Amino acid sequence: MNPPVTSELPYTDTKPQGSADFYYAINATFRFLLRSQGYAGWRRYLEEMGRGYFAPVNRQWSQGGLDAVARYWRAFFAAEPGAVVEVVQQADRVELQVRECPAIKHLRSGGREIVREYCQHCYYLGAARAEATGLTMRLSGGNGRCCHTYARPEAGLPPQDMKQIKEAGL
Amino acid sequence: MIGCYDFCGHYDWTFDWLKRTGGEPLVREYWNEAINHDSQRHARDLIQREGFAGMIKYWGHTLAEESPERAYTITHQTGVFRIDMHSCPSKGFLLRNDLASYQDYCDHCMGWIGPMMKESGFVIDHEHNHMGQCWWEMRLPDAPAGHSKPGDVAGEIDVRLQPNWLASGAHLDRYSKATDPDAKMR
Repeated sequence: MNPPVTSELPYTDTKPQGSADFYYAINATFRFLLRSQGYAGWRRYLEEMGRGYFAPVNRQWSQGGLDAVARYWRAFFAAEPGAVVEVVQQADRVELQVRECPAIKHLRSGGREIVREYCQHCYYLGAARAEATGLTMRLSGGNGRCCHTYARPEAGLPPQDMKQIKEAGL
Repeated sequence: MIGCYDFCGHYDWTFDWLKRTGGEPLVREYWNEAINHDSQRHARDLIQREGFAGMIKYWGHTLAEESPERAYTITHQTGVFRIDMHSCPSKGFLLRNDLASYQDYCDHCMGWIGPMMKESGFVIDHEHNHMGQCWWEMRLPDAPAGHSKPGDVAGEIDVRLQPNWLASGAHLDRYSKATDPDAKMR
């Protein structure tokens, strides 16, 4: 998959996909933050990134609603090497059905020790971004296959059960 | 999900978050522990084991993957390994997207490569111009040479001979036989 010519991504590069070895750095960053800042510090890092670094995406979502959410995630996963993801838009939600997580796949193939909390990052980051745009976000599964749901409040999604997010590992 | 496509963007943002959280010492600790000792441990292992040959293998692979346009060159002569970066894919991403959370993104390279070279028994001569161009020379600490004259090691592909080396907006940070990101000479 290649990103569309007119990208929905706020930051664009000259190459169609990222370098998968950067997943090593993301995993290592989580390990460092969990050790040095604790779980609460790591969670704060993700939530502040969701509101700060991703502010341009949040603005797109606020203005464009679920259509913008779906377009963003299609472009996002097109630029992630090895991703196998279906983005399904319904009236009140967008579901990301992740058949193969590109990060978990690459970390495994590289023999890297994956932080067990890895999959929770998608929830804390995604929930912060959703909250900033008037949506709710829920996550189930993990460790390579999962489902992210971004929904309007009227969808009435139940609270996130963290037990529904699997620990990551080889 | 944090992706790899815009990695350099959130990497830069992370440096600033770390600085706000724990000051510059936490940023230095991150570059050494998370990047040198964890993320890039394959580079560290290779260079510790094979020296100059390991540098050729590592940078030959990594720069080709990060920069398919091959806007860089590597040169190896007896006693020195040199990189000339003509268009850094990482800094270039930030410049094109107008991103600059941390005060000097370019420092991260010396932040992890410096400690890696120290552990591997090498020192670094280096300059970057903050516009996506830089050069590196790795030598053993007792090597008499250092900061070669433009063209002496890399010939006409030496980035310092290119017209954009001192283009508008460029300012040089310089390191001499260094391995510490804070050993910067302006």
